[in-house]
Amino acid sequence: MNKVFNILGLLGLALLLLAAFLGMQNWAVMGFALPDQFYTLSTIFLGIFIEAAPFLLMGTLASGFVEVFLDRDAIQRLMPKNALLGAVAGGLLGFIFPVCECGVIPLTRRFFSKGLAPATGIAFLLASPVINPIVVASTYAAYGWGPVLFWRIGLSLFIAVAVGLVFALQARPAQLLKPTPLIQISGASVDHPHIAPAAPGLGPRIQRALVIAGDEFFEMGRYLIAGSLVAALLQTVVPQTALLAVGSGPLLSVLVMMALAVLLSICSTVDAFVSLAFVGSFTSGSILSFLVFGPMVDIKSVMLYLQVFQRKTVLYMVWLVFLFVLLASVFINLNIGI
Amino acid sequence: MTARRYAVLKIVMLLGLGLYLLYKTFSGTLYFYISDRFTWLVLLGGAGFVLLGLAALRNLLRQATPGHSHANNWTVLIVAVPLLFGVLMPDRPLDSSALDTRGLTTNTGLGGGAWSNVELSLPSDQRSVLDWVRTFNFASDPSIYTGEPADVIGFVYHDDRLGVDEFMVGRFAVTCCVADAFAVGVIVRTPQAADWPSNAWVHISGQMAVGQFDGRSYPVIEAASIKEVPVPPQPYLFP
Repeated sequence: MNKVFNILGLLGLALLLLAAFLGMQNWAVMGFALPDQFYTLSTIFLGIFIEAAPFLLMGTLASGFVEVFLDRDAIQRLMPKNALLGAVAGGLLGFIFPVCECGVIPLTRRFFSKGLAPATGIAFLLASPVINPIVVASTYAAYGWGPVLFWRIGLSLFIAVAVGLVFALQARPAQLLKPTPLIQISGASVDHPHIAPAAPGLGPRIQRALVIAGDEFFEMGRYLIAGSLVAALLQTVVPQTALLAVGSGPLLSVLVMMALAVLLSICSTVDAFVSLAFVGSFTSGSILSFLVFGPMVDIKSVMLYLQVFQRKTVLYMVWLVFLFVLLASVFINLNIGI
Repeated sequence: MTARRYAVLKIVMLLGLGLYLLYKTFSGTLYFYISDRFTWLVLLGGAGFVLLGLAALRNLLRQATPGHSHANNWTVLIVAVPLLFGVLMPDRPLDSSALDTRGLTTNTGLGGGAWSNVELSLPSDQRSVLDWVRTFNFASDPSIYTGEPADVIGFVYHDDRLGVDEFMVGRFAVTCCVADAFAVGVIVRTPQAADWPSNAWVHISGQMAVGQFDGRSYPVIEAASIKEVPVPPQPYLFP
């Protein structure tokens, strides 16, 4: 009986979708006239989602494969014990795992479940959206071999390591993290019968990694979608023109560009090109703040952070990053001027 | 809901997302959402979702009793939201209604970088709206363009700062996805300016002249002909 219901339900859903697709694509035909802003919202939302979903997918795939193929001991052995060295190693880990800001979050969570130290994990989380070959290349393409590239890399690494070290001071690091009910490999398959225990063969292990990646996409994807919706809504409501109009002066310009980075929520792989549009009309410190703050903090990434850390940890993390970037950028505006 | 039903739902959503992305890539409407530079990424993503959906399906079929998963509660349905938007909402590129919050610039600093496919040395009648706006940025004297032929496509936008015989012909420039879209525009002068409704896509040819905008001299297109055209297959310019 249950099975019949399932099949009927699915058929109904499929029919409904088909009808929707064929008949309702044009609301105007049905006598509906949605406000123009709603179309804009829909287009921007889909734009952010379509751009970010493949990146999140890569992150959950990396996480699935790390779960299946990398064991706890390897991470303990490879990563430095010392907090400072650990944080620096975490900051540079992006060169080995080139995932950007959406993908890094499920991967970091997986590393934490495998016993990675918080300082290392936080440094990885904050640095890897910039410190990875793809973003270095795109920044180079936009700005060439020059101060913007060097400052972006240097400042991102410095802030990531510094924030990681601040959290290393926490006596019980496990308290930083959200208690994760992550699927673990050793002996946990009894609790998680939905995923076949890892058989020795390569095929079954790959299958298992893919299933874990799929489940994780649902866990993280919910927040990516909620974040993209909020960002699209803000973009259709908050006038950027008014925001940009206030943007001069060494302090105000930095604040405006940081706000814009959060508002736009674009991927770090391409933000260098986007920022080119503001060169000339904005101070160089503020351009840098856009390039350093944006990859670490924006609407969708904060939503995703909340899946890994306690709310309080996220709050401190965002606040620390904000202060660091603000201080550094204003300092550059007043003293250096790149 | 039972664990099995969650598993089925998730498989449907994964396959749905995959097929949606693949469909967008091949139907050409993907350009309404992201820059053409990232087509390969979406193609890869679509294939990836289909792969994950198939792997989850295989897992479900092989197991008599699917246990719980941690992503088992009603919030997994949020993942269907982009699918619903994608299926229910007509594909519509950004238009002048988005300018309320984004504004439109007649002067962009998009000049730097080794990375740019905007060619300043283009013959003037091949320049797009964005090319024109960029060239203006390099000119100290707006009259140097006077007499050059212009031939551009864009949407009509009526700006309060313009005279009664003028409107703007605008385009959105998209670097990555529509979230970073910014609008650029060139002033068009024609006696019938008021007859053209906002958002209409037009093909304008004419000659450059000098006009006034916001209290300073500015290059304008003196329109010889204005024709209504359908929305181009790539509605945005990719700087």
